[in-house]
Amino acid sequence: MLYINGTVCISPQNTSDNSVFLPEVKPYTGNKIYCVDVDYTKFFDPGSIRRMGRLIKFGTAAGMLTLKDAGVETPGAISTGTGYGLMDVSQKFLHNVIDSNETSVSPTSFIQSTHNTVSSNIALMSGCHAHNNTFAHRGFSFESSLLDAFLLAKEGYDNILVGAYDEVSDHSYRSMKRLGLLREEPCTNTELFTAEQKGTIAGEAAAFFLLSKEKNENTYGAFAGCKTFSAPANADELKSITTAFLSANNLSANELDVVVSGHCGDSRLDALNEALIDSLFTQQTILVYKQLCGEYMTSSAFAAWLAARIMKLQSIPETLIKVNRQRQPKNILLYNSHRGNHALLLFKHV
Amino acid sequence: MEELMKTLKQQIVEQLNLQHIKPEDIGDDQPLFVEGLGLDSIDALELIVLLQQKYGVKLANPADGPKIFHSVRTFAEYISQHRTK
Repeated sequence: MLYINGTVCISPQNTSDNSVFLPEVKPYTGNKIYCVDVDYTKFFDPGSIRRMGRLIKFGTAAGMLTLKDAGVETPGAISTGTGYGLMDVSQKFLHNVIDSNETSVSPTSFIQSTHNTVSSNIALMSGCHAHNNTFAHRGFSFESSLLDAFLLAKEGYDNILVGAYDEVSDHSYRSMKRLGLLREEPCTNTELFTAEQKGTIAGEAAAFFLLSKEKNENTYGAFAGCKTFSAPANADELKSITTAFLSANNLSANELDVVVSGHCGDSRLDALNEALIDSLFTQQTILVYKQLCGEYMTSSAFAAWLAARIMKLQSIPETLIKVNRQRQPKNILLYNSHRGNHALLLFKHV
Repeated sequence: MEELMKTLKQQIVEQLNLQHIKPEDIGDDQPLFVEGLGLDSIDALELIVLLQQKYGVKLANPADGPKIFHSVRTFAEYISQHRTK
């Protein structure tokens, strides 16, 4: 078990300020939503900002704000996850190569095009010379960084900065559209779940966590477990995997208070979530979150940030509630999936 | 020369993404690096790319860079003498 001693999220909602917790939901119309920018001049000098893409800015800022929230200047290690990484900048670089007939290429997009630029920036800015890794494992990217943190803790590391970030890029948006994953009719994010429809909305965010072996006065709660698995054959197999995961963490389904479900608003995909809830979680408060951040490969990090805030405040914003069974949020389970990558995360109030 | 310097200022702002600087804010003889516009070594590489892409000039000797890129005027003078497009 690792304690969450700091966390910050930059998302399409006003989430970067931890003194409030989703006081209102920002509505967006269309099938893609973008992060609310923070004042990046607080983090970067003007010379650096002009060379940074959007994801680098909001990813690095979320990581640095998390360190500040935890009162930690230099983390013991950094482990992050990203589905597409800096695909937008990489493509810009490759277009430059083609446009210039492989003769002269702008160095800036090359410098910023690697998927680990965000965690590298955080390491440079925080003076962290220890373990630094970025997992680009599609829908398992955040969970991989989390599992890495658990392993690092066993090796003796502490104060590990873990996080995940993805952006709506031309590539990610076009891919989702081509695969028929997006809403075709105009949609408002606040009405994502109001009717049975096909498709979802593309989204983005960056969420970070400072994980420690010891709790302190700023502790939000704890990451108690994490399991990743590939597409279950049917709802029965998903139920069986979930029950086994809870059992491995010495819990039964009845001992859970809240289930955060990665419903995306596409009735074809949400059917599995509904089946799991109907079969196992009829006594738990059920929350959904993708109306706030949209769908992307590391959205479970956004949900983990929600779980952390809920555990600390012991209250749940109305906008998240799908079914309210009036339970105090002590044990929280997150179930999310992204195109065949399924994950279960367990959180405990401490 | 005046027209070339005006175009160059616009291209420098665009190529280097100088978000808070307008082309007309750059003086003709203002140093581009360090104490002037505050450009750095990565910007120097960007200017070499600009020189090649927009004017077809390949910098043969990098050691000439500080003299060529000293100011918009020295940059424009070098381009007017060596441009191939």
